[in-house]
Amino acid sequence: MKNYIKLFNFELGRFLKFYLILIAITIVSQITGVIVSSRSYLSDANEFIYVNQGSMESFLEQYGQMSMHNITRTLWFLGPIALCVVTLLIYIFFIWYRDWFGKNTFIYRLLMLPTARMNVYLAKASTIFLMVLGLISLQLVLIPIEGTILQSMVPVDFRLDMSIQEVIGSFDYFGILVPYSFTQFIIHYGIGFMAVFIVFTAILFERSFRLKGIVLGIVYIAISVVIFISPLLVDAFLVPNYFYAIELFVMEIVVGLLVIAGSIWMSNYLLNRKIRI
Amino acid sequence: MIEVKEITKKFGLKQVLKGVSFTANKGEITCLIGINGVGKTTIMNAIMNLTPINSGEILIDGEKLRKESYEKITFIPDAITMLPQMTIGDAMQFMKDFYKSWNQKRAAELLSFFKLKEDERISNLSKGNTAKVNLLLGLGLDVDYLLMDEPFSGIDIFSREQIADVFTSHLVEDRGVIITTHEINDIEHLIDKVVILDNGVVVKSFNAEGVRENEGKSVVDVMREVYKQ
Amino acid sequence: MAVTFNKRDPVYVQVIRHFKEQIATGNLEAGQEIPSRRELANKLKINPNTAQRAYKEMEEEGLIFTEGNNPSKITKDEKVIGNVRDELILEAVNSFVDAIRPINVPLDEVVGLIKEKYTDKDGK
Repeated sequence: MKNYIKLFNFELGRFLKFYLILIAITIVSQITGVIVSSRSYLSDANEFIYVNQGSMESFLEQYGQMSMHNITRTLWFLGPIALCVVTLLIYIFFIWYRDWFGKNTFIYRLLMLPTARMNVYLAKASTIFLMVLGLISLQLVLIPIEGTILQSMVPVDFRLDMSIQEVIGSFDYFGILVPYSFTQFIIHYGIGFMAVFIVFTAILFERSFRLKGIVLGIVYIAISVVIFISPLLVDAFLVPNYFYAIELFVMEIVVGLLVIAGSIWMSNYLLNRKIRI
Repeated sequence: MIEVKEITKKFGLKQVLKGVSFTANKGEITCLIGINGVGKTTIMNAIMNLTPINSGEILIDGEKLRKESYEKITFIPDAITMLPQMTIGDAMQFMKDFYKSWNQKRAAELLSFFKLKEDERISNLSKGNTAKVNLLLGLGLDVDYLLMDEPFSGIDIFSREQIADVFTSHLVEDRGVIITTHEINDIEHLIDKVVILDNGVVVKSFNAEGVRENEGKSVVDVMREVYKQ
Repeated sequence: MAVTFNKRDPVYVQVIRHFKEQIATGNLEAGQEIPSRRELANKLKINPNTAQRAYKEMEEEGLIFTEGNNPSKITKDEKVIGNVRDELILEAVNSFVDAIRPINVPLDEVVGLIKEKYTDKDGK
């Protein structure tokens, strides 16, 4: 346990610089987005009302009220989210491969530590999870701040204030990242973390058997996916509409846990018996 | 004692090890030699459970390698095992954090012996100094067995001499050492036992002093005979 | 103490010979402390087990002695030291004779040449 924490801490440290850059980009870009969007809205309003002598009502009719809704669809807002998502997806692979490649083969050190090799695996997985949750939290903190900036820039008559739920609801894909309910949270992140475990195992297949391992890894992913959706398949094809939604949900949780356990077991086996420097 | 018993290893279709057996004792320096590509590094990796073998068995003091074994046997590969952005001090701290057998005093002694500084960044080190740091990280552990892969290869002559000096010093005393090399010339007088590998098997294994005494041959003479056949 | 070893004779034999030379020339005196086996190995860049073996043989030959846990010392036995000197001289002469005999040089000529060379060398 102590070694797991040390390794976890170490893995966090290795990505920290990059991570802080991601955070900085997100903050700067989204806040810039709020300012830029608000300014351009206000200049539109100015032009409409003072230059073209239009009324405020007809302006609002034509342009609508300014709200976070206008902002969440800009590249300023979505760009950094996409960047973070892509970076973390790449990092799922990089967190392993970086130890094998280059002149400095750190994997020697990691595998020769007098501790269970699973600790290395779990430390890497925890790092990914914490990074993901960290970015989500950052977003949840940023939205109200951005709302406040918007309020300070746009007069109350021109704007529509939204709660954080409304902001999240204003944009479909966002609902995946920031679920409305605890159940949703479990589903989204349960599936997400399960996917990380499965991909980690596939990576270890590749690292153990190299070329042959790529095939094994893909097959492993396919099998895991089939097992995971098997209750849904059964419900859809074998005994249509036989189960209640709650029953399916519970079955999914059980199967999901089984897939995660299988992945951890398999990774443990590969790390101890098959892994290659 | 490290016992390697009839180990075999295939990489794809290539049978790299075809039943390799030898032993290496504590308090002795055993040298695995062979022309490049005969699987010396694979044997080292196999002993350390860094690559799986297809058959055979490896015992360390009569036991199979466990995670605790890394406190008493260590491997110094030919590439450094720490991150380039670390300083030498960071690397030493890392070892201290994870190994009970880390001996900070000895490590500090080695540091000054090699004339290295803790705040030097690993990525900035010369090849010779990288090899020394690698050696330091291995020798800093109070282990019984030390495996080194090509410790003398590709480094300048002065680093080489310093490293050779370590072999005859108290820093290696009473440990069992296995080194691989394809260039035995410089270290003939340093080693106890020679294991010559060729084509996936041990073709000859002998005591260096013994072959000089009984046959009047140098280790290189014996190698020459073996490879002529 | 830099010694060049050849690669075909046992290193321990070469070490013993080196010690004998040092004793014969008086570089090592009777009763003088000698390095530990570890120090010797380090100085000569040889395997510590070989250094150990050399000391063991020398101890058996009576060239060195060890009292308790103290460092080993060169023997104080003048007779042994004398023998070492004789042995080395004899060995050198023997190998010289072996080398010169096949050439069939008259003894007087050889002796003359030796005298000439020996003093010549001294003069340098």
